Amino acid sequence: MTLTGWEAVFFWVFSIAALIAGLLTIMARNAVHSALFLISALVSIAALFILLGAEFIAGVQILVYVGGVMVLFLFVIMLVNVGAEERGRERLFNRPAQVTTTTVLALLLAFGLVYAVNQGYSGLKGKNSAALTQVEARRAIEQQELSSAATGTFKITKDTERVGGSLYRYASLPFEIASVLLLVAIIGSVMLARTIKQEAAVDDVDPEELKKQKSE
Amino acid sequence: MTNLLTPIFAFIFQEAATSRGEQIIQGIKNPDLSKFLVIGALLFIIGVAGVLSRRNIIVIFMSIELILNAANLNFIAFSRYLQDIGSVNAVAGQVFTVFIIVVAAAEAAIGLGIVIALYRNKETIWVDEIDLLKW
Repeated sequence: MTLTGWEAVFFWVFSIAALIAGLLTIMARNAVHSALFLISALVSIAALFILLGAEFIAGVQILVYVGGVMVLFLFVIMLVNVGAEERGRERLFNRPAQVTTTTVLALLLAFGLVYAVNQGYSGLKGKNSAALTQVEARRAIEQQELSSAATGTFKITKDTERVGGSLYRYASLPFEIASVLLLVAIIGSVMLARTIKQEAAVDDVDPEELKKQKSE
Repeated sequence: MTNLLTPIFAFIFQEAATSRGEQIIQGIKNPDLSKFLVIGALLFIIGVAGVLSRRNIIVIFMSIELILNAANLNFIAFSRYLQDIGSVNAVAGQVFTVFIIVVAAAEAAIGLGIVIALYRNKETIWVDEIDLLKW
């Protein structure tokens, strides 16, 4: 699996963009800026997914993360950050000792992980070199077999079809469990976020408690 | 001390050797699986650093999203690798990524609900001021 030509150029552009946006996410003073940098990091990662031939996951990433989760984040930031200007001079990070420890840990992790990945990959490459030499030929045949799009200039990939088939063939029980998980998350977040007045509206607050709240 | 440093110097000189240098240039021209794994690892480390060092609880949640995305990148990269070596059910990595995205969405909804409840009760989003469980 190697990228060639323009694919390699786009790989470096998007991966460096993702790393810089990720760094700025954790360093920005304003939480809204953090959210916007995280959005650009997620879009860059979606582009990397397209380079890896996972078009469906890239679309899901854009729709769910950028369209859903990040909008939720921005809503909550704007609900919670009332008067962020006057507190703008407050400390952004934890105590200096903690930040130093974090930096040292991050650098150690970076060196260790990069070294381990390179060592492990060279072993993996040696093991599968026979199969990897025929990749180009097999990819070319697969490209030939794809049906072309309406304009005739592009081919329609089989990625979504394969993911859907695998999802329902091998992972149908986890799929159903995920739907239950989403239901639990919806009910749970509504339960957590409502006020005591809203709870009183459905009669599950002790009237005495409510009276005490009102008098305060 | 010298004993400790010898393997490190050996490693650096090995890196600088010409054949090795050509290999690195080749790796930059034709990025392969290991480059994707390195990018995923670096994103993961950025997320971990954010979780450990920031005070704003919402930014900590965003760092967690970054960590999950780094894991997704690894899954997709290995899925492509398995497709290339002709494995059966090579798209399992992509299927798992779908589940990670589902769990991340659920986690964000619950976590932000907790943040709103917390802000309503304690009027703060700085994690070092939320110390009810600290003795």
